[in-house]
Amino acid sequence: MKILYSWLSDFIAAPLAPEELQAKLGRIGLKTESISKTGAAFEGVTVGRILKIEKHPNADKLSLCDVDSGSGVTRVVCGAKNIAEGQKILFARVGAKLAGGELKKAKIRGVESEGMICSAPELGLPGDGSASLNNSFAGPRPFEAPVKNAGAKEDGSGILVLPENSPVGADAKTLFEKPDLLLEIEMLPNLAYCLSHYAVARELCAFYNLPLKKPVMPELTPPPASGPKGPDKVGQAGGGVKTPAPAPVTIEEPGLCARYSGIVIKNIPPVPTPPQMAARLAAMGSKAKGNLLIDVSNYVMYELGQPVHCFDLNKLSGPEVKVRRAKPGETLKTIDGKTLKLDEDMLVIADREKPAALAGVMGGADSAVSDATTAILIESAWFEPSAVRRASKKAGIKSESSYRFERGVDPELQLCAALRVAQLILAEVPGASLEQISDVNPVKYVPAAVEADPARINAILGTEIPEQDIFACLKAISPSIKDEKPWTFYPPSYRRDIESAWDLAEEVARYSGYDVIPVRSSMKMMSASVTPAFEAAGELRARLSALGFSEVYNYDFISLKELQNCLLNEAAAISLKNPLSSDFQFLRPSLVTGLLKALDYNINRGRNSAAIFETGTVYSKSGAQGKEEICCSGLMFGSFPAELFWKGGADSADLYHLKGVMDYAFSGKSGFRFEKPKSAPAYFQPGAVLEMKLGAGTAGFLGLLNSTAVVNSGLKDVKIYYFEILLSALARSRKADFWQRVSQVKPVSAYPAIWRDLSVVLEDKYEWAELEREVVKTQDLARVELIDVYKGKNIDGNLRSVTIRFTFSSMEKTLTDSEINGHMAAILEKLSKKFSAKLRS
Amino acid sequence: MTPAQWKEKLFLVRDSFFSSLAGIQTGGLEALELLYFGRKGDLSLLLRDLKDFPLEERKALGALGNEVKGAMAAKLAEKKGGPGAGKADIKTPFSDLTMAGYPFPKGSLHPLTVTINRLTEAFIKLGFSMADASLIEEDYYNFEALNFPPDHPAREMQDTFYLDLKDPSGKDLLLRTHTSTVEIHTLKDRRPPLRVFHPGRVFRCEAVDASHSFAFHQIEGFYVDKNVSMADLRWTVDAFIKDLFGSSVAVRFMPSYFPFVEPGAEVEMSCVFCKGHSGKCPVCKGSGWIEVLGAGILHPNVMRATGYEPRQWGGFAFGAGIERFAMLLFGISDMRVFYENDLRILKQL
Repeated sequence: MKILYSWLSDFIAAPLAPEELQAKLGRIGLKTESISKTGAAFEGVTVGRILKIEKHPNADKLSLCDVDSGSGVTRVVCGAKNIAEGQKILFARVGAKLAGGELKKAKIRGVESEGMICSAPELGLPGDGSASLNNSFAGPRPFEAPVKNAGAKEDGSGILVLPENSPVGADAKTLFEKPDLLLEIEMLPNLAYCLSHYAVARELCAFYNLPLKKPVMPELTPPPASGPKGPDKVGQAGGGVKTPAPAPVTIEEPGLCARYSGIVIKNIPPVPTPPQMAARLAAMGSKAKGNLLIDVSNYVMYELGQPVHCFDLNKLSGPEVKVRRAKPGETLKTIDGKTLKLDEDMLVIADREKPAALAGVMGGADSAVSDATTAILIESAWFEPSAVRRASKKAGIKSESSYRFERGVDPELQLCAALRVAQLILAEVPGASLEQISDVNPVKYVPAAVEADPARINAILGTEIPEQDIFACLKAISPSIKDEKPWTFYPPSYRRDIESAWDLAEEVARYSGYDVIPVRSSMKMMSASVTPAFEAAGELRARLSALGFSEVYNYDFISLKELQNCLLNEAAAISLKNPLSSDFQFLRPSLVTGLLKALDYNINRGRNSAAIFETGTVYSKSGAQGKEEICCSGLMFGSFPAELFWKGGADSADLYHLKGVMDYAFSGKSGFRFEKPKSAPAYFQPGAVLEMKLGAGTAGFLGLLNSTAVVNSGLKDVKIYYFEILLSALARSRKADFWQRVSQVKPVSAYPAIWRDLSVVLEDKYEWAELEREVVKTQDLARVELIDVYKGKNIDGNLRSVTIRFTFSSMEKTLTDSEINGHMAAILEKLSKKFSAKLRS
Repeated sequence: MTPAQWKEKLFLVRDSFFSSLAGIQTGGLEALELLYFGRKGDLSLLLRDLKDFPLEERKALGALGNEVKGAMAAKLAEKKGGPGAGKADIKTPFSDLTMAGYPFPKGSLHPLTVTINRLTEAFIKLGFSMADASLIEEDYYNFEALNFPPDHPAREMQDTFYLDLKDPSGKDLLLRTHTSTVEIHTLKDRRPPLRVFHPGRVFRCEAVDASHSFAFHQIEGFYVDKNVSMADLRWTVDAFIKDLFGSSVAVRFMPSYFPFVEPGAEVEMSCVFCKGHSGKCPVCKGSGWIEVLGAGILHPNVMRATGYEPRQWGGFAFGAGIERFAMLLFGISDMRVFYENDLRILKQL
């Protein structure tokens, strides 16, 4: 929220320096996000008049201007197009201090310039500068906005043209608002009690014991029997300020509108917004409309925190306004031009015929104040916060008003704010008459009693703050507190957030400064652990990255196209109800889409090899429920290792690389093996995919990605090898204790091992796993490895030659040649019998 | 031929010999030897030319010529594996020590993983145990039990993604907006004393830019027991931050607001990147302080929602955005970098 330094200072009798203010605000939880300067912060600029304009001899786009600055005529080079002879302008002499620094004498294209005709940005003024102009010496609305876009300076902006009646030679500072500071303060949702200048000042003064200057209000009181009045009262008011009649207001929903203060003012001529008010609104970023009746409500809201709305009384169909629920089918055209469909959940302010405002959110266009307005009804009400929030959400309208009502407006502020509006209007138009005033308050604010036990507060904070200091804090917030134990704290009406000892503890900490909390532990020691899934993922990550895989992170959201590209089932995918865009509509059912995207990204940046992986959640529908599963997936593409180097080229990555990677990733996991899958995800190429098993369960898949999926995903038809591991399978099989997770080492033989190679030729259809299974049980066999596979010359087309290395070892003795020969003969016999294998000659 | 020209020629012969030598296997050595050392070899011819120089110059050039010849012969012998191997150049048995080592495949962990691992380590040291939690969540666990009542503006702090699935009460399921859900689940499932933490992904429905992302990570720890105070929280957070950034870092609490804690605090640490000396530090923007965590005492409404009497049981919670830590640690200034997966960046880790 924006806070104007000068405005805030209005309410503090001894204003604080900006730095101190910022520090003091931060210490009590009002964090300043930024500070910016507003108003005129320049020196050496006077009102000047352009006497004569000539073309620059050496430049088409520049002019030479003779400027009367009040103290002589000066020649200036100017690049703006909106200059004209006779114009009143802002003239900066050499040495002037401007937004960009000190103005120096300059030669521009060969002509000396002895000053500058200024644009708004050159003076550090926002926009075209008109908003900052204070038209104090001009009559009512004398000032036409400067000619916009009529010409451009070299930086694209035109010079600031002043009103004709500006006095030549006057210090330009007098034309503008005084320099001021605009603080942007982060208002967290709990800070309902700080949503205005006065409220922030009140908070500062309470917490730092500073003298608060309360706004002086007119002494007007509503008639004693305030409350809903019958229609007969309308028009009975005599127009006297002292005993105005009640304004005609009926509240049908006291649960949603606890209070409604209304004031009727009549006989109002068109009246412009006074300069100071306009300047402050402009500094707040709320462009003044120029009409006091419109601007005053914003002004009072920023000042006191109470949203106020003014209806054009003559546009309301009398005799009274009702605060009621909207009826089905009713509509409301709002000030900002939207037509809202209303329903019974929405509270409206209605005249006899129709809704005139959506309560707390926005007024209607039909009853809006305009330049033709002569009579108004000022509304200052208390609407139930969640009702306003619901209505604002339903209507899709967020306003400064709904912002404050949602957070909770001070329930004792309504009449005061309405009076403040009236006061400001009457001060500008003394002829206007305050005719009616009403303060309907069906639900009165009753402060909750909060037990304030200093021991409890100290226990929450872990402090030993003396009782009298705690009492001082409580008294600063609620001066009515009595020093009678047990203390009972009645929060002021604007501090309804204080409900418990915890809330009071926070106030005491803010009051004392959070540094009052010691850094001290009285906690129990506890043992710590991580989850099996985290450990399993960590181990996988370490192993994969050790083998050259780089970890990536992708978003969980994908598009329908990505789903379809990878042949994923969209019916089983969970979709978002409110996606940011169609690119991010589904929760990913697999990591494959993101990994392909990451690969594509890197290929487009010049990589021709990549090995990447990701550990992340994948989602699917499981009946009416959502199912989450953590996967670790990755892919290999290009060559391996990825870099070329001087000793020789790299291999093209293939399925057996990935199989080796998985062997390493799962090493030490008992029951791990590859199997041909009965079924596999559709993005794998059929016949080129293996299932990984841990015990009886599936641990994942690996294989060649389906070329349809690859090409669909925008990559060329390339070979990409992909794996996915279900982390739950790993975590499940993971033993809880370290000593169970490590396997005990097997003893090795003290006798030498002896190996023999055997080359046999057999039919292609026999797989290595079958061969291995057949011979692995041979006596004394320690290891069996496939060390060569050959097809080609001298081998028939349907055959292949395999060379197998057998390593024999015994725990008891050195094996003799004849023993080994016997083993090898038995092996060859098994292979010939089962697979018709023939010894290769 | 001038002596300078001769010298130049000599070095040329030497260099071309060495590069040829490096390029051939044992098979071509004889041919190479003949080409340089043979009677009509390049080197031999050049040495023979020495006779045309005056005596003084012949001496100097001769010495140089012999030195080069020796080096070449030694290299040749070394390649042959003969007895002269390495004798002339004992400094290295390799052709060129400046050539790159073989490129073993180098993988990398994502900066967020590295950060999560380090933060996890810091929690473990303080006796916190990790808990799992799901990303798809019910409104009750994400908001209501955490003291975000329906229609409360605090919900505006966390724009939420809703799913095309319903919870048992008929409300839309959502993607959790913060890791604080783990507090409700843990408090409902287990009994205090509890000292638990959880790192994980969270989602907010907001557009992506340099400092916002619709998916990001948080880490959150909480402690529940009897007699837990803000002092315990300060001690824990102080130890946590000092473990990460060193014992010289200063830690301070400032008032702040999170619906599920009261009192609430924002935790700032002194800027370790500029140590408060520079007014232009891009990390702390010259303030000397960096926001790192949110913290507070668990709100009595949270205790009640999970079945605990707040006057008897209490706790604290603190949490942080993991990207924020990772950005500080790795000098990354744009959150999108974490999800772009540019290997030129990732491989630097």
